[in-house]
Order: sequence, then structure tokens, then C-alpha cells
Amino acid sequence: MSTTKTITLNNLREEYEREVTAPVAHQEVKIELSLFERLYNISALRKGFILVLLAVIWQIYAVNLNNELMFPTFSDTIKGLGQVIQSGELVNRTLTSLKVLSIAYTSGILLAGTLTVIAITTRIGTDLLETLTAMFNPLPAIALLPLALLWFGLGNPSIIFVIIHAVTWPIALNIYSGFMGVSNTLRMVGKNYELTGLRFVFKILIPAAFAHILTGLKVGWAFSWRTLIAAELVFGVSSGSGGLGWFIFEKKNQLDINLVFAGLLTIIIIGVVVENVIFKFIEKRTVIKWGMKF
Amino acid sequence: MSTPSTPHIPFVDVRHLTLQYKTTEHLVTATHDVSFHVEKGDRLILLGPSGCGKSTILKAIGGYMKPVGGSINLNGVEIKKPGSDRGMVFQEFDQLLPWKTALENIVFAIRETSQCSEVAAIQEARKWLKKVNLSKFENSYPHALSGGMKQRVAIARCLALKSKVILMDEPFASLDALTRQKMQEELFELWQETKFTMVFVTHSIDEAITLGTRIVMLSPHPGQVVAELNVDLSAYDSRNHPELIELKERISRILFKDQLDYVI
Repeated sequence: MSTTKTITLNNLREEYEREVTAPVAHQEVKIELSLFERLYNISALRKGFILVLLAVIWQIYAVNLNNELMFPTFSDTIKGLGQVIQSGELVNRTLTSLKVLSIAYTSGILLAGTLTVIAITTRIGTDLLETLTAMFNPLPAIALLPLALLWFGLGNPSIIFVIIHAVTWPIALNIYSGFMGVSNTLRMVGKNYELTGLRFVFKILIPAAFAHILTGLKVGWAFSWRTLIAAELVFGVSSGSGGLGWFIFEKKNQLDINLVFAGLLTIIIIGVVVENVIFKFIEKRTVIKWGMKF
Repeated sequence: MSTPSTPHIPFVDVRHLTLQYKTTEHLVTATHDVSFHVEKGDRLILLGPSGCGKSTILKAIGGYMKPVGGSINLNGVEIKKPGSDRGMVFQEFDQLLPWKTALENIVFAIRETSQCSEVAAIQEARKWLKKVNLSKFENSYPHALSGGMKQRVAIARCLALKSKVILMDEPFASLDALTRQKMQEELFELWQETKFTMVFVTHSIDEAITLGTRIVMLSPHPGQVVAELNVDLSAYDSRNHPELIELKERISRILFKDQLDYVI
């Protein structure tokens, strides 16, 4: 009974073989997106819109509040920003800050790198890194400032010391976990080419762990920037030419609150630029291109 | 099993090899007293179910593992550490360096293991990519390649090392059936061109018969050699030749004689 049914069903559908035809060139069939859709697809534009919105809210709120000592308007802040940029004061302060920062940040990276390389090559190095990060990572950098002042005196060396402390541990942790996460297969490939020691580290481990390393650098950057401003705010008073933190402190004392806001705005802008321009640029040319991050 | 005391020195001489590895809780004996020879131009297959230590043996030949007992000699010299004279191809697709293109992966392998100039290395790498039919993809990064393509690059990269012996650890096991068959054919063609010596690990009887000249069969837990057979697919005009079918059945019988319903 059932066999007859199958046969009849199969008879309804004939068997066939065919030559495939050339596919339709889909690439040529393009449909133009509307202007709004095209603009909305640009992430920078969307984020820019949010920024403009925030500025508008700021302006409306401050105008209504009408208290320039507590909360100056956006337009006053921008005006002040223009003035201090023109006079060169803000630029000098920013450069001072960035100079201190780059010294400390680079030293921190080198220190973290050295510690991690020792950690992955020797067992006692692993223990050393794990113990040190466990001890020092939770310790706020600012808590070390009094000691730093005692050891290094007033001025940049103290600030550099606390920033190095702030960046070394998170960077080291990230590099280390990156190295540990490198697949066994890749390690074996490296060994197959007889790569050992530092050649193995630089030619296999570092590129293979680059996504983690970059995360570490980003976290380290944020930590160092925050620590720098905080340290300058607290102790920048005594150093000859202060940085941005000192600029904010000074303007508050002079009751130029719109300039305090201008200083804060500068810190934000630098942070955003480094994150979204410099690190994005590095990411696009490395981990995103390699398919290690999307 | 004892090795014959003839003056002939085998090319790869695995003698009374016992291998152990540690897990977090146990010390596992992967192989016990395994001996076999590989001669120049051999396509030697290590065949057995999972748990027979075939991959572990390959890693030991690669120099990644120290034997607990016995020895492995290549050309009369004992193997102590990894080296480019024993190029490896792995099962995992992530064996290509993801930060290098297909071409750069091969160039890197050549330049790290020889005194080759960059220009010559690129030329050599292009030659190998052409042999695995991937010339069009020389500038693609591994993440943009399919599994089969990645394995082809890995094979090309390994052959470009000009190793004395090539070690393949189930390179086609993660591929779909259609791609696997195609890759087996391509690998055989490559062998006909260059006649490299190869040790190939697999758990597929079909793959063993397709690719091998000699099949070493291992039993599981711990791995021990249960048989060695000679095979030559090119002697038959069809894969369904009665002798081949008989050979397959013989292999199954040897491998699974006491576990009738063993699933590989």
C-alpha cells in the first residue's frame, strides 16, 4: 500500500540534471540608501549628535540656573577655553602634563613587559608577578603620593612614580593573561621553527596576544591619565610649572570657574581623542585586520 | 618486538617508546613499548581509535615530548627537541599565524628556518601556494580563509620547510567529508611531485588506505602496536576493489577484535 503511494509521489516529480547558468551579477544591482540612512550609518556622526545634545542641555540648564560661580554656561566655557588657548597658557599646561605622562606611561609599559617576560619564562617569575600584582593592583596610586614626596621630593619625579605604579600592574596583568591565552598550537608552530627565548616572545607571543596587550595599554592609558590629573591637583602646587591638574586647581582658587570647566573639557577631549583616534587606528591596522577582534 | 640487527639504519627509528603525560590528577601512560620504522619516501600512517596515543607519538617525534622509555632517532641521531627538520601540520585551524597573510606565513617559516633572502623566500612561498592552488589568496589573512584553505596553506608552509620528515596530526579531521576527500587527493598528488617522507596520524581506516604505504595500527589505553600492514592504493583501479574491501575488514578486525561495537 505504502509502496504504491511512494511510487506515485515520485512519479509526480521528474528527475533531472542541468547545466548551471552564469549567476546574475548581484553586485551591479545597487539600491541607493536614503540620505538619512547613509548619515545614520556613520558612527562618528551619531556620537557627534549626542555630544551636541549634551552641550545644548548644559547650556539651557546653566542659563536657567544663572549662577556662573557654581555652573557656568557652555558658551562661557568655550569662550574661556578660546582665551586660554590663545594666550598659550592651556597649551603649555597640557604639554607639561603630556610630557610627564609619556615618560611615566612608557616606563610603566617597559616595566610591565619585562615582568611578564620573566613571568612566562621562569616559574619563580610567575610567582613574583602574581604576588606583586595581587599586592599592588588594588592599591590606589594616590595613596602612594605622600611616600613619593618623601622619597623624590616635590615635583615631577613623584608624579612619575605614582603613575608608573598606576599603569604597571594592570598592563602586566593584561599582557600576562594574553600570553597565557596563546593557543598551544601556535606555540608548537613557533617551537617547530626553533624559535626560543626573546625571538619566540617577539615573533609569536606578542603578536598572538596583541588583542590583550592593546586592552592593557588602553586600561593603562586611562589609569595614567586619571592619576596624573589627580596627583597634580593634590601636589602640583609646589612644582614650578604645573600641568592641567594644577591649572584646574589654580583657576578654582581664582574663581574662574568657566576656566575650571575648560580644563575639565580639555581632559575629556584628550581622553576621547586618544581612545577613539589613536587606539582605534592601531586596532584597525592590527587586531581587526587580523580577524582577532571585531 | 625487537629491531632487526642489520647494518641498515632506519630513517626514523622509534624504539621501545613509552610515553607518559600528566593531567591535573593523573599520570597517564599514553603508549607502551611502541616500535616501528619509517623509511625515506614512506607515507606511514599511525592508525588507531582515540586514546591509542597516536598523536602523542607524533608529538614525541616532533620533539615536544620526552620519552619515559625508549628512543626516537632520525637519521641515526636521537631526537631531543623540536626542529624544522620535522615540519608539523596540526588538526587545528588556528595553526596559521593570524597576523600574517597566507604568503607571509610561508615566507616567515622559510626565513626563520634558513638563510634565505626575502626575495627568494617570497618566490619559494609563491611556488608552494601555487602547488596547493591558493595563488589567488596569497594576500588573504587566515581568518578570511575556509578551513580547507587554511589546512592547504599549513601543508604548503610545512613542505616549504623542506623537512626530512613531515608529521601530520589528523590534518583533515575537522574538515567536511567532501573537502576531506579532495584534500586527500591533493596531498597524494603533492607527494607524487616531491616524494617527501610523511608520518600521518588518523583514526579513519579509509584515509589510512587512501594515503598510506605502510599502516601501523595501535590499540588503546595504553597505545601498543598491534599490526603493521603494507598498502598501495595506486595498484588498484577502483576504490571498491574486492581486495581493498577485504583489507578494510581486516583492519577493523585487528583494531576492534575485542570490542565489537566500538565506535571510533
